[in-house]
Parts: sequence; structure tokens; C-alpha cells
Amino acid sequence: MKRRNWRAIAGVLLVLTVAGYLVIQGISETGVYYWTVSEVLAGPRSENDRSIRISGNVVDGTIDYNQKDLVLAFTVSDTEDTTKTIDALYNGPAPDAFTAGVEVVLEGIYDHESNTFKATVLLAKCPSKYDSEESGY
Amino acid sequence: MVSFGKLCQILAFTFCAGGMVLLLVGITRNDLRLIRSARRALYSLAIFSSLAVFALAWLFAVGNYQVKYVAAYSDRALPLFYKITALWAGQDGSLLFWAWVLSLVTAIVIFNTRKELHSSNTPYIYLVLAGVSSFFLFLIITVSDPFTLLPYAPRDGQGLNPMLQNPGMIFHPPTLFLGYIGFTVPFAYAIAAMVSGKLDESWLQKTRTWNVLSWVLLTIGIILGGQWAYVELGWGGYWAWDPVENASFIPWLVATAFIHTAIIQERRNIMKIWNMTLIVLTFILCIFGTYLVRSGVLQSVHDFGASGLGGYFLIFMAALLLGSVYLIAASYQDLRTEHSLESYLSRESTFLFNNVVLLAIAFSTLFGTMFPLLSEAVTGNKITVSQPFFNRVNTPLFLLLLLITGICPLIGWRKASADNLRKNFLIPLLTTIGSSAAMFAAGIRALYPLLAFSLSVFVATTILVEFWTGTRARKILTGEPAHIAFPKLLWKMRRRYGGFIAHFGVVLMVIGITGSNAYKLEEQATLFRGQSMDIGAYSLRYDNMKRYKLYNRDIYAANLTVYKDGKMAGTISPEKRFYVNADEPTTEVSLRSTLMEDLYVTMPAIGKSREITLRVAVNPLILWVWIGGFVMVLGGIISIIPSRKKVK
Repeated sequence: MKRRNWRAIAGVLLVLTVAGYLVIQGISETGVYYWTVSEVLAGPRSENDRSIRISGNVVDGTIDYNQKDLVLAFTVSDTEDTTKTIDALYNGPAPDAFTAGVEVVLEGIYDHESNTFKATVLLAKCPSKYDSEESGY
Repeated sequence: MVSFGKLCQILAFTFCAGGMVLLLVGITRNDLRLIRSARRALYSLAIFSSLAVFALAWLFAVGNYQVKYVAAYSDRALPLFYKITALWAGQDGSLLFWAWVLSLVTAIVIFNTRKELHSSNTPYIYLVLAGVSSFFLFLIITVSDPFTLLPYAPRDGQGLNPMLQNPGMIFHPPTLFLGYIGFTVPFAYAIAAMVSGKLDESWLQKTRTWNVLSWVLLTIGIILGGQWAYVELGWGGYWAWDPVENASFIPWLVATAFIHTAIIQERRNIMKIWNMTLIVLTFILCIFGTYLVRSGVLQSVHDFGASGLGGYFLIFMAALLLGSVYLIAASYQDLRTEHSLESYLSRESTFLFNNVVLLAIAFSTLFGTMFPLLSEAVTGNKITVSQPFFNRVNTPLFLLLLLITGICPLIGWRKASADNLRKNFLIPLLTTIGSSAAMFAAGIRALYPLLAFSLSVFVATTILVEFWTGTRARKILTGEPAHIAFPKLLWKMRRRYGGFIAHFGVVLMVIGITGSNAYKLEEQATLFRGQSMDIGAYSLRYDNMKRYKLYNRDIYAANLTVYKDGKMAGTISPEKRFYVNADEPTTEVSLRSTLMEDLYVTMPAIGKSREITLRVAVNPLILWVWIGGFVMVLGGIISIIPSRKKVK
């Protein structure tokens, strides 16, 4: 009887080990650094070929949207220090909430030499007019 | 009406606090009269919180825009239905709504326990329920008052976010709340059982309906949220592992674990500590979910803005956690059981494994959700994980869970014999191997989809075998034909078969999720009038553009003709909507749904010469996600339909 219980415990431990392994491996392979524009500009902090995530505000008058080829170019500035900017490029349709001044989250690869950010993900936050995008809990 | 609403809130809080004092004194003096007064106080709480909700709904309906909350979430142009439901569109109203529902739930519990007043744990149940109520009432009368007035009366409100003007979104938050709130009852019973030392399984039996009902509501809430995301957000998916989604999913996982092991405790009187821990965890995670969403600690696309409520929630959760841990530790000796798991090859042990896997999913999801905060605290760098992480970690765990779901009914209670195993596994195993080979031959070669589909067949077969053997046994016993025996069997043993139906719903969902994730097609194109684009077997031709007004919106609709395999299959018309009170347009999805696949079309942009940019996706089997969700909910409901005879 006791011996058989050990097998159940071993099974439980096995499941937990597998789950723990998956979590650690998942984080090391899919984890993405999340920086502000200033932090990115402050220096090369990651390898050039690895995706990072940045947040900032779309600078007024910099949006250049080629609707036919779905290429969206714009400049993002740091949320706090608006003198710090990065040029961003995104292939795809602009989200509904995307307008000048809005806060965006970008995921993609940053090139230090040209100070450009090639985004593969573009999320625009709802403007301050609504304090919630989804209704609340 | 404003001061009436305010007054009702304050009275509700007063009655709640007064009821708690009466209960405490009543318990210490062992005075039943005080307990009876407390019951009346808590009934009054329900009445006054209802009146407060009525007052706020009234203000929305008549459009009193001097009330800050009304002005922030509605405007004149909003249809009445959305005006009233805007009640829970923001934080203040949600908290009032929460307090209101909890007060009604408390009233129901008080009514149901009217004959159990002499039982030593009943006052404690009231006390916990009133305690939780008082927290929410405290928030709305102090920091989050929905009746706050603006210094001036604006002519119109700011309107409701267009994305919330959707029936799915209207019912998503309240069902989720109802689920969260429902778990307060089993939590209260569990705490009362520990405080009063009545630790037999009666608390589980009495709260079973609440457990399953809350679980059902939570399930509906999550599915409605997914469906809303699918039809409204326009990115083509229904689940993005966003922190806000995870916040509702994590308590759901733990609650699911709890519902399963509660059965074990009822049947075999083991796993008592485990169940106490699970229900406490479920409830705290429900509060934690609210905290995550409301405190603004995590970056989410669902941007709610930091609200300053975080601190209150943290204190509340810390109090709940410490109190519960203390109680579980104090009653540890009494909760220990003489019996233990007899064999690893038993139905009990499959329940144990199901729990371990569910909790592993819950904690890896929690860990991933909190990782930006954790990594920043530990290393100073903020690292986020998103969909790839959750899919990677949780997919194998879910597959394991599915396997256990299939194995469970095949193994006997206590200890399964080799003979019993051979007999039970034969048919499901053969069916699964056969269909896997067929699917492999048909071209489903990727590991996870193949596994997911095969395991779905496995689980479905075990359920069908279970139904078939039950029906056959009844046929022999009663002589009824199968089509009468089967429904009668379902009805007679609905608790058990309701569970199987819920599992069957899970299978359908897995099929839908796998199909829509693994075999999705996506295309983007910009079309001028008369031009076409192709995707899979479909071809879409852009015919013309219409512009019209409806209620509070200005709509541009593109009309497209859909051809499938060269034959005309209907029309589809994605829209761009400009709401009166919003700066940005919203993109309206157009769907052509069949059991096999959805054609999903959005129009992200309209050009100057009315050329349109289209985003088109073919999502295979996605309808089964919703059908499966419905079946799951149905199974849950069937399992708790009360029998006419009162079981004592």
C-alpha cells in the first residue's frame, strides 16, 4: 500500500517538473524585454536580432501611412521625455485607435545605427477620453 | 435621486456593519435573538443596495449628466438598453453592482438557512458574507462613489465606448461578476466550517449547487468575453492571453479543480485539507482578478487606467489570505483523514492528477501574467511574455488534462484490476488508434494537432461507451427501448451524466481551438471596385460601398460577393463605423460562419477613391469553440438541477 502511494507522488512530481521545465524554457525563449524609448536610446542593451517591446507616444505630424501597400511609418517619443524619439516602421493596417499622440506598444527589432524600429506588433491604447477600453470588473 | 442613491448606499453599509456587530455579539453571548436581528439587518442591506442600484439606473435612463459616472459612460444618443447597462461599464458602477449582487446572494443564503439557526456554523457564514459585502460597500461610499457630482452640469455625456456597444459585451462583465460573487458562498461555508469546527463534508454538500452554478457563470462570462473579442476586436482571434483574460481564467482553473475533488471528498471522505485550500484559493483569486484589472499594475491592451483602488484590494487580499492560512493551519489536525489514496491506479488518483495539472496551468498562467512585475523586481529589467509563452507551456498541459479526462471513467474507484483495465480500455483505445491513423493519412501530421484530435476521439469514445453501457443496463433492468432508457438514465443520474456532458463540451472546444489555431489562413489586400482577392477556396469581389446612418453612428459598408470553389456563396459586408461621440472609427467584422469554417473579413481602411483594405481570414472549425462552450455550460446546469424530493 505504502509503496503504491509513492508512485502517485512520483507521478505528481513528474507533472510538476515538466510544468516547471516548460515555464523556464518558455520564458527564456519567448520572453521579451520591455523598455521605454529613453531606455532603448540609452545604449545597446540587447542583441540586434532579438525582439524587444517598447512603449511610447506617436509624434504629431510624423504619420506616413501607405494604405495601398499597408506600410505605416511614424515616430514614437518617450512618454515622459518627448525629445527622445525613434522612427518606427510597421507592415500592416493601422489599428482603429491609432492617431497622433496616442500611446502605442510596439514589438519588433531595433536597429541602433539607423535608429529605426521594425515593428511586427503594433498595439494602440485607447485615448484618454475613455478610461476603459473594455468594460470593467 | 442622487442624494437618494447616496443615502441608500450609506444605509446599506450601515446595516451591513450593524449586522456584523450583532453577529459578533450574538456569537459570543450565544444569543439567538441577536442573530435573528442580524438576519433582518442583512435583509435590509439587500433592500437598500437594490434601491441604490435602481437610483443609478434611473439617473442613467433620464440622463442626469451632472453625475460624473453617468456623464462618463453614456450620452443622449445612446439607446436606452445600453444606457441602463452602462451601469457596469466603469469601475464605480461595477463595484456597486458587485455589492448589490452579493447582498442578494446573502439574502438567499439567509433565507435558505432559516431552519439552521441553531447550528453553530450558521452565524459565521453570515459573518463572512457580510464581511465581504462591507469591503465593497466601503469602497463605494468612500473612494469610488458612483453618485459623485461634477461641479457643473454638462449638456451631454461623453458616451459609451463604441466597442462596448455590443450585446456580448453587455453580458460578459455581469456573468463574470456573478461567477466571482457566487464563490463567496462556498468560501463563507468553508471558513464557517473551520471556525466552528464542524468539518464534516456537509459544507460541501450544501454548497455544491453554488459551486457549480458559479463555475457555470464564470464559464459563460469567459466564453462571452472570447466571443466579443472575436466579433468586435477584429484581429481574428478570441483569446490572446492578455492579463485581463488571464485574471478570469486563473480562478476558473482552480474552481474547476475544486469541483472535481469536492466529489472525491463527498464520496471517499479524503482530501479535506486540499479542498479547503482550493476553495480559499478560488475566492482569493477571484478578488485578485479584480485587483489585477483595477489596480493598473500590469500593462494590458485593456487599458483601465490606474485607479488608486489597488492598495485597498491588496490589504483585503492579505487579510483573506492570512486569515485563511491561519484557519487551515489551526484545523489541520481535524482535517487530516484516516483514509488515503489506496492505489495510483484508481479513479481517485485520476482526480488528483487532474487537479495537479489544472493547478500547474493556473500557476504557470499566473506566473507568466505577473512576470513583468517579478522580473523587474528581481533583475531591474522588465521582461514580458505573451501568447507564444502561454501556448507553449499550456498546450502540452492541456493535452495531458484531456488524456486524464478520458482515462478517468475507465478506471474503477479505490483500485482497478488489470482485468477491469483491459476490458474498459479496449474499445476506446482501438477507436483512437484507428482514427489517428486515418487522420495521419488524411494529412494531419503536426504533433500537437494530431494529438489533440486523437485525444478528443479518445475522450468522446469513453463518454459514448459510458452512455451506452448505462443505457444497456437500464434497458435490461426496465425493458424500456433505448430511446426511452437513455434520456431517463440521463435524468435519473443527471449529476453524473451532467459531468460527462460537460466533458463532451470540452472535447468539442478542443476540436474548435485546435482547428482554428493550427489551420488558419490569413490574407491582406487592397481592392478597387470590381477587383477580387483569393483565400483558400474562397474568392471575394468588391462590388460597391454604401454609406448610411443608424442610431448614433455613421456607417460605411463595403459589399463583397463571396465565391467558394468558383460558385457564388453569398455576400459579406465589413463596415467602418463612425460613432457620434468617438474620434476614431471602429472596424466592424463581417462573418460567414459554417460548421466547417468561418470566413472572417475586416476592413481596416478606406482610401480616397473608395479603395478598401481588407484583412481576410479563414478560421476552420471555430464554431465548435462556441458550441463546445454551450455544451459545457449545459452539462454543468444539468448536473445541478435539483430533484423534486428534498434530500435531507
